[in-house]
Amino acid sequence: MNQVGGTKAKRKPPSAHRRAAHGGSDHSVTAEITLLLNTLRELAAIRSTAEDAAARILDSAEGLLALADKEEAEKAQEAILAIMTACGFHDLVGQRVTKIAETLDCVIASRLTGEELARAKTPAKIGSEITLEGPSHNSVAQDQARIDALFREKN
Amino acid sequence: MALDPSMPVLVVDDYKTMIRIIRNLLKQLGFANVDEASDGTAALSMMREKDYGLVISDWNMEPMTGYELLREVRADDRLSRTPFIMVTAESKTDNVIAAKKAGVNNYIVKPFNAATLKSKIDAIFGEPS
Repeated sequence: MNQVGGTKAKRKPPSAHRRAAHGGSDHSVTAEITLLLNTLRELAAIRSTAEDAAARILDSAEGLLALADKEEAEKAQEAILAIMTACGFHDLVGQRVTKIAETLDCVIASRLTGEELARAKTPAKIGSEITLEGPSHNSVAQDQARIDALFREKN
Repeated sequence: MALDPSMPVLVVDDYKTMIRIIRNLLKQLGFANVDEASDGTAALSMMREKDYGLVISDWNMEPMTGYELLREVRADDRLSRTPFIMVTAESKTDNVIAAKKAGVNNYIVKPFNAATLKSKIDAIFGEPS
């Protein structure tokens, strides 16, 4: 699993001439970078907390599922499986947090080098020519229905 | 293609939480023979060692993504007919179409529930859902 910010968050402080080239004072640029690095650490903590919470909920749900095998099984199993699938929030939270962290990395890189923000980093290209967007802002039911329709088409 | 609950199923995801969720859902659907891999490279290696009746894979993983795994599988004569379901947060139409063209059998958007997973498996194996 990728770490939020990762090693990129441990860049060396910017050199004086780079900061001067970007038009900011030493103090203000350093303060900005410190704030951004602290934000990256907070995002990493959010991901870690979400992961821990999801693991503990799954531990409990798996324990309940074992008990539910014995009696009153069906309704209990449905409820427990619903709890388990809800734990998928951890994955989606992680992906959204990673996107925010990557944006912050771009801002930090831009402040360090003085390059234009838009040129600092291209969107993540994972899987050769495919550019991934991550979780959408639509309802999942709408997304699934649209995809199901695509799969019903012959070609 | 007949649905055989004893067939080995490979779940590929870089989030352990998701693997646990899918493994539990599969268990409730009767699939007890479930292996796991954390990316496409590991999955491909496992597939070359063992015959899987179904692969359920995330897309966004490193170093090898689910999409790249799918293309490798479809290009391999021995593996090319393995049923493959993509389970991902990625819902951009162009990417879904790319996965379909690459030969994915079905596609599930996260977050999903047990009924959705069951319906997609049933659809692949021609079972009434």
